[in-house]
Amino acid sequence: MALPAGVAEELRRIVGREAVIDASNDLRIFERDGSIEGAMPDAVVLASSTEHVASVIKVAARHHIPVVPRGAGTGLSGGAVTIRGGIALQVTRMRHILEIDPVAQTALVEPGVVNQELSLVAAQNGLFYAPDPSSQKACTIGGNAAENSGGPHCLYYGVTTNHVLGMEVVLADGSVHWVSGDAPDRVGLDLCGVLVGSEGTLCAITKIKVKLLRIPPSVATLLAAFPTIETASQAVSAVIGHGIVPAALEMMDRVTVGAVEAHYRAGYPTDAGAVLLVEVDGIPESTRELMATITEILTANHGYALREAQTAAERDLLWAGRKGAIGALGRIKPNYYLHDGVVPRSRLPQVLSAVGEIGDHYKLPVANVFHAGDGNLHPNILFDMRDRQVMHQVEAAGEEMLRAVVEMGGTLSGEHGIGLEKNQFMPWIYSEDDLDAMHRVKDVFDADGILNPGKVFPDPSRNMVQLAGRTGLAVEAKWW
Amino acid sequence: MVVTNPAVEKPATAEELALRLHEAAESKLAVAPVGGGRAAGMGNVLERCDVLLHTTRLDRVIEHSHADMVVSVEAGITLEALQAELAKANQFLPVDPFNSPGHTIGGLLATGWTGPLRLRYGSPRDFLIGIRVALPDGKLATGGGRVVKNVSGYDMMKLHNGALGSLGVIVAASFKVFPRPLDDQTLSDHGGWAATDRALSTPLAPTALELFSDGRILARYSGSPAAVKRVTDELGWKREDAAVWDEHSRRAPERWARIAVPPSELRRIVDALPDDAEWWASPGVGVAHWTVTTDAKSVRDARAGVEAAGGALVMLAAPDGFMREVGAWGTAPPTVEIMRRLKSAFDPGRVLNPGRFVV
Repeated sequence: MALPAGVAEELRRIVGREAVIDASNDLRIFERDGSIEGAMPDAVVLASSTEHVASVIKVAARHHIPVVPRGAGTGLSGGAVTIRGGIALQVTRMRHILEIDPVAQTALVEPGVVNQELSLVAAQNGLFYAPDPSSQKACTIGGNAAENSGGPHCLYYGVTTNHVLGMEVVLADGSVHWVSGDAPDRVGLDLCGVLVGSEGTLCAITKIKVKLLRIPPSVATLLAAFPTIETASQAVSAVIGHGIVPAALEMMDRVTVGAVEAHYRAGYPTDAGAVLLVEVDGIPESTRELMATITEILTANHGYALREAQTAAERDLLWAGRKGAIGALGRIKPNYYLHDGVVPRSRLPQVLSAVGEIGDHYKLPVANVFHAGDGNLHPNILFDMRDRQVMHQVEAAGEEMLRAVVEMGGTLSGEHGIGLEKNQFMPWIYSEDDLDAMHRVKDVFDADGILNPGKVFPDPSRNMVQLAGRTGLAVEAKWW
Repeated sequence: MVVTNPAVEKPATAEELALRLHEAAESKLAVAPVGGGRAAGMGNVLERCDVLLHTTRLDRVIEHSHADMVVSVEAGITLEALQAELAKANQFLPVDPFNSPGHTIGGLLATGWTGPLRLRYGSPRDFLIGIRVALPDGKLATGGGRVVKNVSGYDMMKLHNGALGSLGVIVAASFKVFPRPLDDQTLSDHGGWAATDRALSTPLAPTALELFSDGRILARYSGSPAAVKRVTDELGWKREDAAVWDEHSRRAPERWARIAVPPSELRRIVDALPDDAEWWASPGVGVAHWTVTTDAKSVRDARAGVEAAGGALVMLAAPDGFMREVGAWGTAPPTVEIMRRLKSAFDPGRVLNPGRFVV
C-alpha cells in the first residue's frame, strides 16, 4: 500500500524534506517494535513539535490514513506496529526536558525523552521519576504514558498513570488540548486518566507533566535463593502478609538465573529453583529495620544464601542482571515471546506450574522473570524464529498460558498493553457490554478510527491460531 | 438538590438497579443516584429529579482476598463497614473523607472526595482497580479487574471516578488495599506555615498533614517504628491520640467550598481569603476547605484568584439559593466539549443527575 498521491509532499511541507521517510528499504527498520509481529508503514514522519504532530494528523484525517504514534519502539504488545499501514508518527526528535521544578517536584517533558534520562537529570535536584520499565535505558516517557507502563519499583510507587499530572495531546481531528495539570481535584471528567494507557488509539501525546519523588536517602537490596518457585512465592506472600510492601520484589526462575549469571556474573546462585530480589528504601533506620524483618521471614520460608548488596556497585550489578535478564536469555535461543499476565498474588505457584506444563507440552523452553509482589508474571517462551515450524507452537503455547492466567482470575496484561498481540483475547475478560462501553470512548475521541487502528479491540478481520471455541468469558462474572 | 416528590427506588441487586435505571431512562425520567447522602450538597441544584435511585441495599463485601490484598464490594457498602472487614486482616482502605461517617463506596468514588491520608496514599483514583457501572441503556459494564496491575483495555475506572454519577451508576468496585502501618503516630503543633514546611521536609514524609486557619497543625507519621521514632523525636511536637482524626473527618460546614490549587500556590490563595476566614488544608496536596461565612460575591472573588492560579473552587455544600448564586463548579474547563460528547455517548437522554455536574 502506498500513500494517496500528493500526501507525501504535503507531509514534507509540514516537517521538512528529510523528515519524511518513504523509501521501502528505509521503512524496514520501522516495521517492528519489541513484539513478534511486524507490518510496514507507508511513511514515517519525524515530528519535532506539537505543531508538526497536529498538522500531520490533520492531513491523515483528511485522507483517512492510519496514524500510529511511535516512541523508541521498545513496546512488547505491537502498539507501535502499523498493522494497517499508514503513517508511523515518530516523536523521538521531541526529546527535550522542558522544565524541572525542584520545589513542586515536577517535570514537563516532550514525549521522546528517554525514561532513564529524566531520572538522571532530575537526580541533580535529588529527585527521580519512579516508573522504571526494564527498557528504561531506551523507552520514552511518551510511550510509557501511552502504554501505562510499569516496572519493578511499581510495587510500592505505582505505575505510570499514578505519576502523570497532565498531558498535552493531539486528538484525531488535529486539535491540541491540555488535560489535567498541576492542581488536584480538577473540575469535570478525568480525561487525562482515560488517555494514559490508551495505547495511541485515542490521542497522540505531545507533552507530559510528571511527578518526581525525592531520592530516598537509603536503599537496601537483598538477593535470596529458594529451592522451588513455590517456596519463593510463599515467601513473597509472607513478606507482604506481614505488612511490608517493599519498593521491589522480583523473582527469577532457574532458567533465567542461569542465563543472567553466565552474562553478568552478578553472583546469582545458579543451583536455586528460584531467586528473589528484594529492595526497600527510606531513611537508614527504616531500611535497616525492614531488611532485618524481611531476612527473618525469607529464612523462615526456606530462603537460603541471602546476600545483601554492600555497595552501590553491587546493587547496580544485581539490578543489571534483573533488568537485562531478557537480553541474557539470548544465550539460550535467539528469540523470545514475552507474556505479561497478572494473577492474584496467591495464585502465583499454580499459574507458574501451569506455565511450566504448557512449555513441556510444546517442548519449548520457558524462562520466568517477573514482578512477584504484584502477581505480574513474565513467562518468556524461547525459540528460534528461523525455524518456521516452531512459530505456530510458540503462539499456541502463549495463548494457552494466557488462558490459564485468565482462568485463575487474572488479566491479559499488567504493563505491556494489549496492542496487536492480545486484542483477540479481550472477550476472555470483558463481556460485549464491557467492550461496548470502551468502544463508546473510542468513538468520542476518534470516530473515523484513524488513530492506531486494529489495536486493543478484537479485530474481526484477523484470524489467529486456535481461537475457535474459546471466545467467551473465561471466568463467570461471579466476582460481581 | 431540589426534589419535588420523586419516586424512591431501592433495588437489591445490580441487575435490578440497571433495570430501574433503564426503565426511568426509557420514560425520560430524571434519576439522581443516592448513596449515603453525605455529599448530597455537591454540585449545582438539579434541573429535575423524578427518581431517587438508592444503592444502599447493595452493601455486600463480594470478596476480600487477604493474601492478595484486594477487596471487591458492592457500591452501597459504607466505608466504615468495609474498614471493619479489612481490619480482620490488619488491612485498610486509605481514604478518610470529611463529613464522615456514612459515606458509601459508590458515593466516594462518584464524588472523588478524599481526606488527609491522600498525602501519603493518593486518592482512590490510585488504588481503584476495577469498577462495574449500570448505564442508562440498562447495560452493566465492567472495567479493570481484581488484580493490582492491569492495562487491559481503557481505564474505565478513571472515567467514572469523580464523574458524580453523570455517566452511569457505580454498582461495584474493586480496590487494592494496604497493610496497617507497623507504627502510626499523631502529633500536633501551633506553628502555622513555618512548622508545616518543616514537617513536609522531614526525611520520612508525613502520612497526613493538616493545617488550620488558627495555625494549628495535625501531623501523622507511619511506617517502620525506628523511622517514626526518629522523626517524631526530632520534631518534638505534642503527642495526640489517633482519635483526633475521626473528629477531624466529621467536619462538614453548611457553606463549604473546596479549593484545589498547585500545592506551591496554596498559601498565597488562603492568605487572600476574606479576613478571619476559617479553613483547614492539606498543604502537601494543594487542597483547602473553606467554611464560608461571607456572601456569594466573596466566594466568586476567591474563585477568580484560585482559577488564575490554575486551580478550582468547588462548592461541596450550600443552601440552594447560595449555590445558585455562586455556581458549584466555576469556569468550565477548555475540554468541556469532549466531556459533553462523553456524556452523550453514555447518557444521551440526559437522565442522570441533569444539571448537577459540569456535563
